[in-house]
Amino acid sequence: MRKTLSLGVAALGCLLAVSPVRAHHAFAAEYDAKKQVRLEGVVTAMEWINPHAWIHIDVTGPDGKVTSWMVEGGSPNILLRRGFNKNTLEKGQHITVDGFQAKDGSNRANGSNITYPDGKKLFLGSSGTGAPVDPGPGK
Amino acid sequence: MRQRILTSLMVLTAVLASVLLVTVPVIGQAPAKAKKSAYTPPKLPWGDPDLQGLWPGTDLIEVPLQRDLKAGERVEVTEEEFAQRQAKAERTAANDKVEYVAKDSKVGINPPGYWLEHGRPQKITSLVVDPPNGRIPDLTEQAKQKAAQAKQAKQGHGPNESPEDQSLYDRCISRGVMGSILPVIYNNGTQIVQGPGYVAIRYEMIHETKIIPLDGRPHPSSNVKSYMGDARGHWEGNTLVIETTNFLGDKNGIGLNGGGTPHSADMVLTEKWTRTAPDMMEYTATINDPKTWVKPWTLRMPLRLNPEFPLYEYACHEGNYAMFNMLRGARADEAAAEAAKAAKK
Repeated sequence: MRKTLSLGVAALGCLLAVSPVRAHHAFAAEYDAKKQVRLEGVVTAMEWINPHAWIHIDVTGPDGKVTSWMVEGGSPNILLRRGFNKNTLEKGQHITVDGFQAKDGSNRANGSNITYPDGKKLFLGSSGTGAPVDPGPGK
Repeated sequence: MRQRILTSLMVLTAVLASVLLVTVPVIGQAPAKAKKSAYTPPKLPWGDPDLQGLWPGTDLIEVPLQRDLKAGERVEVTEEEFAQRQAKAERTAANDKVEYVAKDSKVGINPPGYWLEHGRPQKITSLVVDPPNGRIPDLTEQAKQKAAQAKQAKQGHGPNESPEDQSLYDRCISRGVMGSILPVIYNNGTQIVQGPGYVAIRYEMIHETKIIPLDGRPHPSSNVKSYMGDARGHWEGNTLVIETTNFLGDKNGIGLNGGGTPHSADMVLTEKWTRTAPDMMEYTATINDPKTWVKPWTLRMPLRLNPEFPLYEYACHEGNYAMFNMLRGARADEAAAEAAKAAKK
């Protein structure tokens, strides 16, 4: 599977795309709206912690170098209510993250869109409807 | 002697008449109150009304705290407005179910909308019900001055110079007594647990628990203060009435997550919990803080029992990486500004 890391400078339009939703804290204080990233990587850990969950991924660059990234997710309590549990996102699962890099340049990003390789949204679903089907690695 | 008895009878009559006159308006309000409490909740083994259960405020997420000025004293939306609210809720639900990210989907700096909780369309126009215009009363001159001084003190001070620049909510400390129950984008879990002589109310996010003794004991000395205050409860019929005092002042406000103008240490909060149906609770809170607002104000929330909304644990400090990220982000911004300044020279 091809894994790439592409860092693109976001167009000014991205600033306008910022939604007014106020999460637990101001994401705008953490992430640089001028450093849009697309990360394609493999899950190494999932931290189900408050106030927001964090997904750890390893991203292999075009030069073969592996870089570890942390991606900020939503509140774990609502993710659980939406049908996700500790088995939903397994180690080794390939995911794609579209977001912005941390202002300090460290390998942290918000997850505006997080998808499985086929483009299906991660953490989709609602309580009562069950978790989305994740085929998982090699299945 | 006869004269004395006659005088006594006249005095008694006068007293009775004045009592009747005073009570007439109260009796006049009685039918509405009686209608509200027509439902009799089951009793617990020790005789107290049973209010126990999970009462999340999720349904009310989209109801504004204060009413739109245009609505005036209208407490409910029009049929047309309600239809709009229903249509919006249907659109949100449909968007939530879209399985794949659209090709032209914009990448934003906030998490996706489908990670949030959504309310149910409501007819009520605001949570604030008194004053009748549904608006929070004006601040007192003292509170206005305090707000101006706080703004002045922030001049030339960045939003992330120290962890203390963040709200008590962002710092995982407390959302305060009303911030803990006002509906927000997620984690609106509220649970009532009762025992003989006590009621406990648990709030999910930032995990506060209010323990309320019902035995009529006095509040502690005013030197004892906390974010959530000191609560005392009693029953008025089937209504649980809680009076809370002994607050830490100038910390949390009566807004979402403890935002808004901070209340003073002298605030007296009176909350009433009345079960109006097997699955409905009428909750009201009256904020009486003469140092902050020119008159008392009341908000009301109809809460629906939802046994499928258990409270999850909320350990928050350990994983609050955002605090680190925000401070590091501010330092990076400062370094970039310095570098830009140096390059200009």
